[in-house]
Amino acid sequence: MKDKIDDLEKNMFPSDGTGLKPYEWMVRPTAQTQWIDDKGLFLWLAFFSSEIGAGLYFMSLFHEYRPGIILGWLITLILGGTIHVLYLGNPFRAWRMIMKPNTSELSRGVWIIGIFALLGFFQMTSQGGFNIVFNFIMGILCLLIISHGFVTMNVIRALPAWSSTMVLPLSLISGIWVGSQLLQMMFVMGGSGVLASGMEVWAKVFFLIYLICVLLYVWGTYHADKIAKESIVIQLKGKLSQIFYIGVGGVGLVIPALLILIMWEGNINGFLLFLRLIAVLVGDLALRYTIMKSAVYKPLF
Amino acid sequence: MTYKTDEIWEDKWVNTTCGVCYCGCGAKVRVVNGVPVKIEGIKESTMGGDGAGLCGKGAAGLMYYHDPNRIKKPLRRTNPEKGIGVDPMWKEIEWEEALEEISTRMKKIMEDDPNKILFTNQTMRASDGPHNHAYFYAQAFGVKNNGNFIIGGGSLHCGNAAHMLGGLIHGAWSIAPDWRYTKYVLKWGSSKGTGSGHSAMTNARLRADAIRRGTREVVFDPMGNFAGGKATEWVPILPGTDTAVGLAIANYILNTRGEIDELYLKAKTNFVYLIREDGTFIRHEKSNKPLVFDGKEGKIKEFDDNSIAHEDFSLYGEYEYKGEKVRPCFEALKQHLKQFTPQWASQISTVPVGTILKVAKDWVDNAQIGSTITIEGQSFPYRPVASVTFRGSQGHSNGIHQVAAIDLMSQLVGAEDVPGGTMGWPSKRRKYPGGQYERMPRIGEDGVLIPAVFYSHDPWPVHIPSVPCDNNGCVDFWTHCTLSHIPYVKERDYIHEKFGMGAKPEMIFGIAANFIISQSDWDVAVENFKDCFVVQMDLWVNETDQAIGDIILPDVSYLEKDCWSSEIDAFFFSGSPSNEDWFVHLQQPVAEPIGESRFFMDVYIDVAQRVGVLDKFNESLNNYYGVTDEALKIKPGEVLNWKQIGERYMRWVYGDDKEKVEKQGYATWHKPIEDVYWRWNTQSRCPVYMEFLLHDRRAVEKIIEDTGFELEMELDQYTPMPDWFVPTSHKELDSEYDLLAFSYRDILHTNNTTFQNPYVDEVSKMCPYTFTITLNRALADERGLADGDIIWLENRYGVKENGIVKTMEAQSPRVVGISGQGGLWADGRPIARGKGSNFCKLLPSYLRHYDPITGNIETAVAVKIYKDQGR
Amino acid sequence: MPRWGMVIDVKRCIACWGCTIACKEEHFLPPGVFWNRILIGETGKFPSSRKLIYPILCNHCSDAACVEACPTGATYVRVDGIVAVDDKKCVGCRACLVSCPYQQRTYYDQTVKDREYFPGQGKTAMELIGEKLYPFKLGTVIKCNFCMERLEEGMKKGLVPGRDEDASPACVNICPVNARIFGDLDDPDSVVSRLIMEKKGKQLKKEFGTEPAVYYID
Repeated sequence: MKDKIDDLEKNMFPSDGTGLKPYEWMVRPTAQTQWIDDKGLFLWLAFFSSEIGAGLYFMSLFHEYRPGIILGWLITLILGGTIHVLYLGNPFRAWRMIMKPNTSELSRGVWIIGIFALLGFFQMTSQGGFNIVFNFIMGILCLLIISHGFVTMNVIRALPAWSSTMVLPLSLISGIWVGSQLLQMMFVMGGSGVLASGMEVWAKVFFLIYLICVLLYVWGTYHADKIAKESIVIQLKGKLSQIFYIGVGGVGLVIPALLILIMWEGNINGFLLFLRLIAVLVGDLALRYTIMKSAVYKPLF
Repeated sequence: MTYKTDEIWEDKWVNTTCGVCYCGCGAKVRVVNGVPVKIEGIKESTMGGDGAGLCGKGAAGLMYYHDPNRIKKPLRRTNPEKGIGVDPMWKEIEWEEALEEISTRMKKIMEDDPNKILFTNQTMRASDGPHNHAYFYAQAFGVKNNGNFIIGGGSLHCGNAAHMLGGLIHGAWSIAPDWRYTKYVLKWGSSKGTGSGHSAMTNARLRADAIRRGTREVVFDPMGNFAGGKATEWVPILPGTDTAVGLAIANYILNTRGEIDELYLKAKTNFVYLIREDGTFIRHEKSNKPLVFDGKEGKIKEFDDNSIAHEDFSLYGEYEYKGEKVRPCFEALKQHLKQFTPQWASQISTVPVGTILKVAKDWVDNAQIGSTITIEGQSFPYRPVASVTFRGSQGHSNGIHQVAAIDLMSQLVGAEDVPGGTMGWPSKRRKYPGGQYERMPRIGEDGVLIPAVFYSHDPWPVHIPSVPCDNNGCVDFWTHCTLSHIPYVKERDYIHEKFGMGAKPEMIFGIAANFIISQSDWDVAVENFKDCFVVQMDLWVNETDQAIGDIILPDVSYLEKDCWSSEIDAFFFSGSPSNEDWFVHLQQPVAEPIGESRFFMDVYIDVAQRVGVLDKFNESLNNYYGVTDEALKIKPGEVLNWKQIGERYMRWVYGDDKEKVEKQGYATWHKPIEDVYWRWNTQSRCPVYMEFLLHDRRAVEKIIEDTGFELEMELDQYTPMPDWFVPTSHKELDSEYDLLAFSYRDILHTNNTTFQNPYVDEVSKMCPYTFTITLNRALADERGLADGDIIWLENRYGVKENGIVKTMEAQSPRVVGISGQGGLWADGRPIARGKGSNFCKLLPSYLRHYDPITGNIETAVAVKIYKDQGR
Repeated sequence: MPRWGMVIDVKRCIACWGCTIACKEEHFLPPGVFWNRILIGETGKFPSSRKLIYPILCNHCSDAACVEACPTGATYVRVDGIVAVDDKKCVGCRACLVSCPYQQRTYYDQTVKDREYFPGQGKTAMELIGEKLYPFKLGTVIKCNFCMERLEEGMKKGLVPGRDEDASPACVNICPVNARIFGDLDDPDSVVSRLIMEKKGKQLKKEFGTEPAVYYID
């Protein structure tokens, strides 16, 4: 006899990750899945790793803090690089991605990372590495890497939520914010309590900018385009709303805000800083996840 | 990409005939290293035309060959218990054992009464082999009148009423617009040119050209999907109410506008025959021919008296004949139609009055009555309006009136088998140049055309209902059915008893039929057939086999079939109804048979030989093909397989071109223009005034009285002129069962065989309506239902079916739509399993749900719908 | 040099899916991979709603988003306008796949390769031979190529794409209603060019600036 009623849907319209039935594909706004589902998750983690590594490097430049740039360099290249290769699946072919820096953002990214790797190596190994020119160049490279993931997404016109103008400022500040938190934690762990509490001022500033940018992203993307709006609706009201409210809002914004308030007077606490770092990392991952996952294509007619 | 040519030792194309639906399109198959890998159309054959196309399911036909679920050896049920949900516990057996058992059982039954053996045709995979040979195969066993043919579960698009009138009016199985020349087409519950019906893709190509030329198409249909979705205008209508709109339009034409093709009506219809008060014809004492009034001479004469010019036949007036008042039946029609106002029709059908009037006006305006057109140097009346129907509107308990009303508007303007009008599939098949096989219609009693070939029961001459019946279909009583539905009726045994039908069915010998789940109420079907010994030949074990099958024999698919006869009668079924040449495609084997599968015609011959009726069967083949050349006839005692028979008959059919035809895989030859638009070249008259129904009624009433038959039958339907009768489904509507469920044919599917094709399955999922149950969006909102909800449909007899909701705008808010025959569960067809919903099971099968005249089941049903509570 | 393009006559199309399935057979595409499909939708309100049918395939854009996104030059516009993928250069980054506004690309990996038309029952002879006849490289992106092998083979024999079957895309050949017309967009006298002019051919998502070579007429 006919299979169980619960299997009806599974039998006829098995899920393809877009949340749509097959007959709704590109007839209704259709989610991109390549860069977030299955192996696409690696790309999410890869973008995140490169970004936090570069963020840490960037913040370390201001303090000319060598362990920071070394760790940042390693995170960006080793962690980010490995995960990128995991995504691509074939390390022996990846070198080809340098071929077209004139048009493709991915090629540009590979070039930038390559230059960053080379110059960063010089900076961390040479004695006079921290001079203003070198710092400036490395700072620019870091900012380019921080924004690389989002820029790669931003140039994709097919996904209006990603090509929204509010994505870039958000990506920059999120990299800096996460990087600064990592650095602050390193200071604590390295016993530089003074440096760490000195950074708390910046934490307030960066957090505030981050908060504003998240709000601007939501507001701006919502009003940018009919399809971009769809993505925000998915984040706020659709199937991603739990991740958005708990991950981005609760963990990424509310908890750091509370911890900032607790430590408002500058009386920093290593454990609370650690908690905040974890919250910031989780919040940023959640934000990236919802942005990547909620991107939808415009129906074809 | 590079082709690795070194590993390829064979890469060829083989021409054959598509076997996925009954249309039989030409198909060529690419075979690489013995593996069929691609199917395309055949451009060089007329059928393909400049497009040479095939539809998706045709292209997908490859999977019939590749399906690992094909049965490879005969199977024998070992579990004596039968029924849905019972494991048959199949055991593989040898062919010899299977055929011995089958023939031994048959012989034993035949000693008693051969009519206890039922046969089925192959409507599940039609065009896959010779269409109609199964009918006279049955006759070789002594089965009478095709009455022991149970339709193989093609109820969802098989049409007794449509075929009956197709035969009576056009000498054809079915009708289509003359797309080449038509300007204005009305389609009533039919998808001709947009996906289904006979010659589906030929028609689709012709229609596409017509639409591009500016032909307008108005579709009356409960849903705007395959036909309505492509129409110039889709008119939502309640199922089964087309009669009302048709009659209102006819009334407009005749009584409001008064613009009719008088010459056509006088020359080509029986409307000029004189009737008495009681409606019956007056006939000549000696010749028994109907009489007419010659207006010029003022005399009553026989209808075929050559002294009457066409224009002198009287359509109107009142005359006296031997003291009796008589009048042409057209007078009666004119009076009869007056009651059918657009307002009345609108209330019944939900079609707005304005729409009815607009369509009626456009119809008359486009008919160009009186105009002519010259094609290939010959002049024909030009009537570029066509009104066609098929399964949808005819599948109701008032089916015959539905079809007659839709036909009537064409009759009134003379748009039948003339350029631009409604065409039957060609009524004749001329010889292939140099060949011998020819099929020409004859003119029978009362000047009515007898089709050149007709499956099962000929529509003319009619037989007056009689008892006792000697066959399961009781076709002696339901004389107008093409194929009887009576074996499926819940009160079947009562009917058999009352009508003296003593041949209780004991055995079924079927081909690829799935009648348990694709006809009507499943439980009734199981109950009616489970005591039979059921033998089926098929590619898979389907639901019917699993429920009640005893022996299942592996058949070859069309890709492994060597069948010279596959489309030999294509003119009548799969040809082009329009001005295009004749063509016939052969079925040539593309690959070796899978496992031990055997072509059913060869199994037929083997069984016939074992039973001892082979000579009879061979003789009927000789007769069917009209073989008079002694050298080519099959002689008594000869045992030839189907291919060997083809060796002889192909010579008969194609003469010296036999080898050429075999080589190219098809034959195509010129169809003269007068055979396309034959109406005015043939001395026949359309029996639009169905006087025979009056005689039927008397006979039926007497039988009912004599036998004490107590089942409800709407005898008023036995009336000569189309009239409005409320379909059973509408009678069963009330505040609880408040929606009409209907079904329709999806372009992707042929009954339920295609559900097992993974290519088709994949794309079915990408269709919003194929696997779902459709509801008008406002209706769904009102019921709190949304896309993706699981709902139940339940009829008033407690039969339920579930499915996934898809809302749509283009559907009448008073109906529920299900495409075809999903809801499958056979273990032998895992791809099909669990797909779609089954409509057929919801159809109640009490006799009152059948058209009393043709015995066709009502294919709409009153249901209630509710959301599944489990979620 | 011609620039190949296609006109799809939506008025003729009856959504029979011949194109979709013929294409799958031509290129031995595994389950779930489509280089051709049909989108079915609806517009308007009862009773004057309309069914919408759009057969879609790669648009072979002359300003293709995929080509722009490709970091290796594996995806490129050929001189005849066909957007092709060089599987020797493709690294499988899928930037093209995400960039395509029409979503006409598929990433071919082991999961896709392992799919069976009869799940759990092994690959059919057709699937197996297809892997030899028309092999795809793992970890690359695959897509409609306007049947360029057919075109090239046919033209070598002096046949004309769009006119002769053996030089035309499979979806054009199978279409039972002649809803697909193939030809040279650069030739103002070609059937495709004339249809686009006369019937005001529309491109999908023109606003993305991709300049598709597939036009729709109604």
